[in-house]
Amino acid sequence: MTTATVAAAPAVRAERAPGIKPRGWIGFLFIAPNLLGVLAFTLIPLVSVIALAFTDWNLVSGVGGITFTGLDNFVAIARDPGFWNAVGLTLLYVGVSVPLTVVLGLALGIALNRPLPGRSILRAIFFLPYIVNVVAIGMTWLMLMNPKAGLVNQVLEVFGIQPGWFASSNWALPALIVMAVWGGVGYCSLIYLSALQDAPKQLYEAADIDGAGAWAKFRTITWPSLLPTTVFLLVTLIIGASQGFGLIALITSGGPGDSTTTISYYMYQTGFQFYRFGYASAIGLVTFAGVLALTLLTWRAQRGRALND
Amino acid sequence: MTNKAAKWYWGIPLWILAIAFLAPFAWMLSTALKQDVDAYRIPMQWIPDPVQWDNLKTVLTGETSVLPAFGRSVFVAVLRVAGELFTATMAGYAFARISFKGRDKLFLLYLATAIIPAQLLLVPRFIYFQKLGLYDTLWALILPGMFTVLGTFLMRQFFVSQPAEFAEAARMDGANEWQIFSRIYLPLASPVMSALGILAFVWSWNDYETPLVLISSPENYTLPLSLTNFVDEQGQIAPGLTMAASVVSIVPVLLVFVILQRRFIAAMTHTGIK
Amino acid sequence: MRRKGFSRREVLAGLGAVGAAAVVPGCSGGGGGKSSVLQVWGGVPAASGPQAVVEAFEKKFPQYKVNYTRFVNDERGNLKLDTALQGGLDIDVYFTYAQANLALRAGSGLAADLTERVRADPDLQVFLDTDQPRAYLDNGRVKALATAREPFFVLFNEKLRQQAGVELPQSWTIEDYRATAKRLTTHSTIGAYTIPDLARIALGPNYWYDGDKSNFGNPHFEQGFRLGREMIAEGSVFPWSEVLSRHLNAYQQNSFLKAEFHLWSTAPFNLRYLYDAKKYPHDFKVSFAPPPTVDGNDWNGGAYSNFVMVNPKSPKADAAWEFVKFWLTEGSAPMLKGGKLPTLGNVTDDQVITGMLGKEPDKFFDVDSFNKVVLTKEQKLATDTRLTGFPEISLAYNQQRDLCWLGEKDPAPAIDEVRRLADAAIARNERSSE
Repeated sequence: MTTATVAAAPAVRAERAPGIKPRGWIGFLFIAPNLLGVLAFTLIPLVSVIALAFTDWNLVSGVGGITFTGLDNFVAIARDPGFWNAVGLTLLYVGVSVPLTVVLGLALGIALNRPLPGRSILRAIFFLPYIVNVVAIGMTWLMLMNPKAGLVNQVLEVFGIQPGWFASSNWALPALIVMAVWGGVGYCSLIYLSALQDAPKQLYEAADIDGAGAWAKFRTITWPSLLPTTVFLLVTLIIGASQGFGLIALITSGGPGDSTTTISYYMYQTGFQFYRFGYASAIGLVTFAGVLALTLLTWRAQRGRALND
Repeated sequence: MTNKAAKWYWGIPLWILAIAFLAPFAWMLSTALKQDVDAYRIPMQWIPDPVQWDNLKTVLTGETSVLPAFGRSVFVAVLRVAGELFTATMAGYAFARISFKGRDKLFLLYLATAIIPAQLLLVPRFIYFQKLGLYDTLWALILPGMFTVLGTFLMRQFFVSQPAEFAEAARMDGANEWQIFSRIYLPLASPVMSALGILAFVWSWNDYETPLVLISSPENYTLPLSLTNFVDEQGQIAPGLTMAASVVSIVPVLLVFVILQRRFIAAMTHTGIK
Repeated sequence: MRRKGFSRREVLAGLGAVGAAAVVPGCSGGGGGKSSVLQVWGGVPAASGPQAVVEAFEKKFPQYKVNYTRFVNDERGNLKLDTALQGGLDIDVYFTYAQANLALRAGSGLAADLTERVRADPDLQVFLDTDQPRAYLDNGRVKALATAREPFFVLFNEKLRQQAGVELPQSWTIEDYRATAKRLTTHSTIGAYTIPDLARIALGPNYWYDGDKSNFGNPHFEQGFRLGREMIAEGSVFPWSEVLSRHLNAYQQNSFLKAEFHLWSTAPFNLRYLYDAKKYPHDFKVSFAPPPTVDGNDWNGGAYSNFVMVNPKSPKADAAWEFVKFWLTEGSAPMLKGGKLPTLGNVTDDQVITGMLGKEPDKFFDVDSFNKVVLTKEQKLATDTRLTGFPEISLAYNQQRDLCWLGEKDPAPAIDEVRRLADAAIARNERSSE
């Protein structure tokens, strides 16, 4: 939270006071362009996805080939070992990559907030991975992580470890996590950086006078002010990580074995390779429910702290 | 420790880290100038030998030059960014600053649509856009990109952090809601809008799946799709050309970033993202 | 959506430059299906042959115009084609490459019944053959015609072969293959890239199926897993960890050209890398050997492929058929460039040699062995007609093979797992197709 928002908070509450309500239709008017656009181009196709989850459909048989199967897909999902394997891998992938990205992004953000030689170039360098197209990233990391001759293992030789990376069902997921962190850490740091700009200077000065150490200052002033940013990053990164499958499709195709078949990739296989669109939609719907639950939890956590409007 | 010493005390480790971050890019650059046979060679070849300047030439001026697609990508990105800024700013403002019944519930519903795996939308979108007559036109890429949930989310977070007193004061002076928005809050939002602009530009620039499914004529290929010209019917990617095209395609995004970077940082400063 | 193809062609002709295609604005209009232009969708880039076929066709039949649209032949590209066919997009003729798509499209009313047209044409009788099918039959009706013949063969690096003093085999067994690979293995070159699909050679078409179950209980499957694993262990076959971590399956040609391995079991489409001295420089000739036999069986691992189909919704069925026939018969030569041997064999040997081996065949190939192995030898090609659960089975097979050849799982449990997954996939697909 920033000083600006802290200051604004009471005002927000004031605005909620009775008497300012009748502007409701104006609000809709402001939202209308975006709402109608989302409705027209995203929501209408979305509804058909939800409907498909209750059917058996292979696409090529056309609309006439859609068979309503009730809850069959969901019953099958519950019994599908491939699905549960994917759930486990996804939880591992999201559970490790997201916190790691956020923590490293925070450290980097704090560091980049200091006066540094060539600071704006540094900021650009760390943001760079976010803008490169996924094909180039995939090709590059495949080479860097070559178990025999890749740069990564050449460096790791110093420490005496030589992971098999994409040629090992134990190391392939960690390799993807490394790539996710590399791609996301600069982006996180930039958002943290912006939050740090608004850091309450007078509080730091007061803490200095009290003789507080660096850690104490971080814990009592910086971290609380960054909490809402952290919540935002967690929500968006969880969504991104649970949907992201481009690199998996490009590098491992879910393998070796099924060691990198996360939910999103499993869904892709089911729909795009096996042509089981009803089942894939059902998997999508279940994933949606899971991520929504996580999002609501983080949203609640933020409200619980009364930092939200 | 003097200020200058402190600067380098932090600067040196960060620069070392930055160089580590840059290693993949060095390899991309070197592969862009390699013959295809050398791209996946072991041990890794950091200096191309021979240097294949032809890759850049082929990518830029060859039969399957990416330049026309480049132009279309700019066209799509500019319209998407403009549309996104317009619709997301207004919607974000309303979700944050104009209270009405069910507003927050509506917003959460909104956010939920971003959670549905995008893959699943491809087929319904294809059928739907074809019925709308948008299939195989650039509008199939532009229109959905003009109305996004994440952009609205970002703008909402900004406006929520702005004091409401401004509005109250203006209202006392008889300003209507549009005037309050356009004269008071919008000017404050220009930095965050440039931030959203960068993000929207990146999203549009790198979008592969939407055009893959919704565009079929080479005359309408955008940049990521034109990279498939370097993929043969066996699905094999020509590494040198693909990398050369990828490197070339970073340039405009980097330019947009560098130009807007100061504003971006400043913008993020004001969003007070939660 | 209808595209006004004529404007594109006119501008193309006017500007004369291929690059000009890019500046022509894409047109679109409502409705669809009434365009006078024949719409053809294929996976081969236009410049690698199709454009030449189209031009020759238009020259012979000036009343027809053809617009060739290239789709990326991967999962998403095929999905797009399916959606387009289903969504009533203006497509008259299209190509299918993957087996799984073939069965789905033919069985779901996306392919016109060509039986009568084939029967009526004396040139095309061979497509009615069911012993070595060159067509895809759906309940006895011809739905798709293979345009290309893709026999497998084993390539030798002549320079290294002569150095090692190994005879170029005329016929050999899988045991010979292993012994040869071992002999050809040096400190810098691995004997073979991988092993041919042993079960395929032994069992022929539909080798994954046994009645309403999968056939992975057949010992040849486990034998294949085991042989691959043993050869990787003894160093005569490329380490699978390298194959996976360098995506070598897609880039075998590069390692072959760099003499990282010697024996290359491959198919005609990879020959184009071997005569392009500028893009793929190398200093050795390549010679041809037939695939090894397994237990006396000699099914060639290759197949008839690149199936052409006609959209049953096409309002220009006659024109579409005219085009299909042209592609299959007199128009087939330009496709040689991409390694597509015409199914009907209606090209001369010289055309094949210059088409598939480049302008200077003798510089890069031992043409004599090419003649013996590819041109004159009658290969027993296996074209599958049973494709139930094909994509699921092929995924399960590849996953378990990877684990086995990485050394993470033994051959027996790996093939058992394939069997279990394949049985389940077959059962599920039979059930849902009832």
